[in-house]
Amino acid sequence: MTAPDGQSAADSGDWARLIEAIALHQDRAAFAALFEHFAPLVKTLMRRSGVAESSADELAQETLLLVWRKAALFDPSIAGAAAWIFTIARNLRIDAHRRGQRGGVTEISGIDAEFHVDESPGPETRVAAAQAENRVRSALAALSEEQRRVMELSFYEEKAHGEIARILRIPLGTVKSRSRLAMNKLRNLLGEFS
Amino acid sequence: MSIQHHPLDELLTAFAAGTLDLGQHVAVATHLTQCARCRDATQLMEHVGGAVLASLPPTPMSGDALTRVQARLREPIAYETPREEPGSGALDDIPGLPAFVRRYSAAPWKWIAPGVRLRPIQLPAVSGTRVFLLKSRPNTRMLEHTHTGMEMTCVLTGCFSHEAGHYGPGDFDLGDDSMRHNVMVGPAEDCICLVAMHGALRMAGFIGHLIQPFVRL
Ligand SMILES: [Zn+2]
Repeated sequence: MTAPDGQSAADSGDWARLIEAIALHQDRAAFAALFEHFAPLVKTLMRRSGVAESSADELAQETLLLVWRKAALFDPSIAGAAAWIFTIARNLRIDAHRRGQRGGVTEISGIDAEFHVDESPGPETRVAAAQAENRVRSALAALSEEQRRVMELSFYEEKAHGEIARILRIPLGTVKSRSRLAMNKLRNLLGEFS
Repeated sequence: MSIQHHPLDELLTAFAAGTLDLGQHVAVATHLTQCARCRDATQLMEHVGGAVLASLPPTPMSGDALTRVQARLREPIAYETPREEPGSGALDDIPGLPAFVRRYSAAPWKWIAPGVRLRPIQLPAVSGTRVFLLKSRPNTRMLEHTHTGMEMTCVLTGCFSHEAGHYGPGDFDLGDDSMRHNVMVGPAEDCICLVAMHGALRMAGFIGHLIQPFVRL
């Protein structure tokens, strides 16, 4: 997969510009480029979260459709493109999961509201998100292989520590301490941001 | 007074990853409504989620996926920004709840012990975790109890203390399956907490045994 300018995807600013192009003038070429890059990644995220093949394909399509529809709400000073698309995919997965349960009556705007917990009137101590994504990526790269793996697994569906331990074939205590260490390193990053 | 007790980082990560069940999500969200530090941490974890997404190996989409989505780009936009639905108004008198929780409906307060009332909150989706408000009068000694799963408590008004410290508005307490002793409510005002309880509650002692049937939600 290559970024629109032919470089690697390391600079998430390119993707952000494509989302803004959709918001500004319904740029279909920008949408196609975003789709080609992100839909297959979202599909992998869905698959690893325990979603079946056909539903994973559909949810990846829905995610990118929401990228088109919500493009005007994208604020690159709050989230990078990948983080923003991650939250859309996350909320769609929760929505699909609830619809699959009997009695689950929600809609995606309801899920969005569940993650909207900041009621302070103005901008406040926000993580400086402009470069946050690239910095988080380099921080993740600085983790040990095992720490990164534990971190990644916590972003897939309901992998409790016990299950992560089973997958990685390491003792539960080791998972917990790796998770704690990884988190501390990332926390230090957070300190640099604020 | 500033917040002293925060959810564990693992819990904040699970919140950002979207892997908490709704009841637990509600408890953590209640803390986040009042704690900028943890809001920043969950935001950081959303960036980590983005980085994890970006680093995944791609899975090929079905052949006509892009064409099918492109055909839908002209559809009228079905997405709506979160609506300010009035809800039942049942929780309007409770300070400190996140906006989306205030739209839920709640059963009336019910008496469960001298000085202690409980009010179940009805979640709009299936959850293995029950959520309720617990209101205790000043200087009440809270019931000793054990539970089979995780219990999350977020203080809304008033305060309580137990062996692990003092808990005021916004403070978050995570109980595991061990027993809390000597939970004392502060002297100044009623203490209202939001509690998310996974598993069954077991009251300790003779009084607890008598009360048990009333506490089943
Ligand atoms: Zn906090």
